[in-house]
Formats: sequence, structure tokens, C-alpha cells
Amino acid sequence: MSTVALGWVGILILAAAWQILAILLHKSVFPTFVAAIAAAYHIVTGPALRTDILPSVERTAVGFLISSLLGVGVGMLVGHYRAVQQWTATVIDFLRSLPTPLLVPVAIVVFGLNGKMVVATIISAAIWPVLINTANGTAEIEPTMMDTANVFGLRGRKLFLKVILPAASPQIFAGLRIALSVSLAIMVVAEILGGSSGIGYYISNAQQSFDIVGSYGGVIVLGLLGWVFDTLFLAFERRLLSWQRGTVGGFIDG
Amino acid sequence: MVEPVLSVRNLQVSLRSRDGSVNQITKDVSLDLMPHEFVSIVGPSGSGKTTLLRSAAGLRPPSGGQVLFEGTPVTDVPKGLSIVFQEYNKSLFPWLSVGKNVAVGARELPVDEKNQKVSEALAHVGLKGFENRYPWELSGGMQQRAALARAMVSDPSILLMDEPFASVDALTRNHLEDVVLALWSESKFAVLLVTHDVGEAIYLSDRVLVLSARPSTVLAEVKIDLERPRNQIGTRSQARFAELHAEVLERVEAAGRLAVGIDGHVD
Repeated sequence: MSTVALGWVGILILAAAWQILAILLHKSVFPTFVAAIAAAYHIVTGPALRTDILPSVERTAVGFLISSLLGVGVGMLVGHYRAVQQWTATVIDFLRSLPTPLLVPVAIVVFGLNGKMVVATIISAAIWPVLINTANGTAEIEPTMMDTANVFGLRGRKLFLKVILPAASPQIFAGLRIALSVSLAIMVVAEILGGSSGIGYYISNAQQSFDIVGSYGGVIVLGLLGWVFDTLFLAFERRLLSWQRGTVGGFIDG
Repeated sequence: MVEPVLSVRNLQVSLRSRDGSVNQITKDVSLDLMPHEFVSIVGPSGSGKTTLLRSAAGLRPPSGGQVLFEGTPVTDVPKGLSIVFQEYNKSLFPWLSVGKNVAVGARELPVDEKNQKVSEALAHVGLKGFENRYPWELSGGMQQRAALARAMVSDPSILLMDEPFASVDALTRNHLEDVVLALWSESKFAVLLVTHDVGEAIYLSDRVLVLSARPSTVLAEVKIDLERPRNQIGTRSQARFAELHAEVLERVEAAGRLAVGIDGHVD
């Protein structure tokens, strides 16, 4: 059997275990798997799709994209220019060690209870893995490769776009993938702490109004969202880094 | 009078190490490279051959002295100067196909002419039909030929080579030497080759310069009066080849011994 098929078997076993356990325990705080799936289905087919799910998807995507662009751009500068690295090292270390949920109250004061606040909070957390991986990837580019770029006249903007960006891309993608899951997690946290819409708001709202099954449904939808994001990301990465696959396997001949 | 294409005058390079101490690599190196001349630089390891080449290329500003390319002081890598590095796997861009890697050397040409030039260059080094392969799909020798094609595609007036064949096996090295000789004799470019292989230096060159140990100066210049065209077996089995080999090797070893005498160790 293929890996994909085996993966589905794993999910089926987990679902069955959940279902049986819930029936045996028979507690209202622990609904059955079927009930939770029904609630999830209700969310994605009902009005919550437009009022909560899509706004959350949009915030995550926007927050992630802005973090990626800023992180890659600033990261390349930090990694390439020693002076920039020296000037920014302490600031970056300080900012990235701030626990992001603590920034939510500040973001609420600045932006209000809305999507902008969520996006800003996502950026404040997701930019760091991208920036730091990009800076490391840039700093670790072989000197011979930089010399080569210089010899063939790739300087200034061309150096960044045609040499540094592709040369550092394996590390950049590692950072982007972390940033994607951070974006999703911070989106939920920000919406729970101070949202007026979104999947996080939906889950905490359901929980506070004793709609236990509804909050389980929300969690399942959130899990699916994360899976879809990650799958799309990996497909994109595989496409862009296809040149790299052979180097992992070594040379074809001597 | 014919002007040299590359003129290195009293070049002095010092590197500052992490602890702030200044390390003098070359003390006083001068050399002239005439058009279409093939000159090799040999010397004990650590004698600053690579540093010299990088400064000559404009990749590292010298601490003293001057480098002139076709009469103009070098401040940056001049157009018309190309380099082949030892580490082809770090010099070819792994995300580009072989054809696109070679095209990097001909960036400034219009597309039609560029494609034409790239195909010609690849054919010259025997890589016709490998345009769409990635560097990692090729053997080491083939990768270095691709790097050679990239360096040659822009018709440079100087080709600098930093131990270009040190990372391949002996048979491949012989083959690559002949590829370079063939390219060189068909074109007009001059070559400055850094190598630690005395036999290779003699086989390829018109002149061989022997560097002293660090901080280096030019210890000796040996004219290679072997007739051209040369070939691996015929040329290398001549008595004159053996004489020249002994002469150069003796000077390199003397330079190495001198270093031991001064520093107490060889690096």
C-alpha cells in the first residue's frame, strides 16, 4: 500500500477510537467523532463560512505573505551586509523573543478589534523564522559562488534576485514553512483574545455559549485548514526546489 | 611595442584575521602577462597563489601596489577577464541548467546571439547535448568543462584559472589540460594559471613563475621552450621536459625549505 493510503488508515483508526471512547464515556464535554464532523460540516456549509472561515483564511494568507516578503527582503540584507547584521542583531534578538500573545493587547489598541489587528499580530510572530533562516542562508553562501557572481557582472539587485535568492532558497523555504504554521496558530490566538470574527472567535464563542460540539467542529475545520495550507506549500516548494533534489542523492557518476 | 594585457606591479596583500592581527600574504609580486601568453604560477602551499589571483582579478583590493588590465587600473572585475575556479561545484549555479549556467557568461549579448554562443561554447568543450542537464547530473570533469565554457563564452582577453583541475582524477586532468590548450590555441586570450602541479604548469605554459612562501615574492621565472603543439605523451617524455621539471621543482622545494627555516613550520 502507498504511504497516502496508509495515512488514511491511520486517520480511520484514530476516528474509530475517538468514536468508541466517546460513546463509552458518554460525557457532554466529549462529543462523538461523528457529531464533531457533522458540526464541522455545518460550519463550512453554513453562514460561518463567509463570516468566519474565509476571513481567517484571508488574514492568515495576508499575514504570511507580508511576513515572507519582509522576512526574505530584510533577511537577505542582514545576511549579506556585515554592517547591517551588526546594527540589527540586538534589535532582532529582542523583538523575536517577545511572546507574541502579549502583543495582542497592543495590536488591539492600535488597530481595534478587527482583521488588521490579527494580520499585524501574525506578522509580528511569523516574520522571524523567515528573516533568520534567510539571513543564515545568505551568510552561508559559498564565497566562491559570490566571487563567480561578481566575475560575471551579477551585482546590486541582480545579485540578490539571481544569485542570493536561489542560493539561499532551501533555507528560506525551511523558514517559510515554520512561518506558515506560526501564522495559523497566531491567527487563532489573536482571534480568540480579541477578535470579532474568524475561526478562533467562532471556537471561543461556541465554547462560551456551551456549544461544545460546535467548538470541536471549529477545531476540526482549523486542522483541515492547516493541512490544506501545508500541502499547498509543499507542492509549491517541490516545484521551486526541483533543481535541488539530485544534490541530495549525490552525483550520478564519478 | 606590445602592451601587456595584465600587469601586476609590486602587489602586496595583507589579510586581517579575526583577532585583529595582520597577516601579510604577498609582499612584493610583479608580473606581466602578454596577449595570448600562457603563464603559470607555482609555489609552496600557503604561498598566496589564490590571493594573488583574486587580487589580479579585482575580487580583492590589494593593500599595496597596483594591477593594470589593458593599461587601466583594476578596481573591480574588468570586462574581458574571466575566471575558472577550482571548486566547480561551488561555482556553477546548481539551480540553473548547464546551458543557462553558460549563458550567465554571455548575459550582455542579445538573445539570438547568446544562444548561438552558448551552443558553440558547449560544443567546444564537448558538452553538446547537455544544455538541459543540471550540473549535478554531470561528472566532475564535465562540470569543470561547463565552467570553462561559461568562462570562454564572452571571448575574454584573459582567462584566470585557480587550480582548475585539482579536484578531478589524473586522466580527467590530462584531458582537461588538452581541452584548455585547444581552446587557447584557437583563440587569442592569455592565461594566468595557478597550480601546485609542476608538470601541469610546464606542459601548458610559455613561462612558469615560482612564488616564495608567505609573505611571497616571485623567486624565479622559468621560460618553457618546449615546442607547440604539445601533447601529453610526446611532450612529457622529452628530455627537455624532465630538465625543466627538475629545475622548477627544485626552486619550489627550495622555497618550501626556506619557509621551514623561517617559520619553523609549513602551512
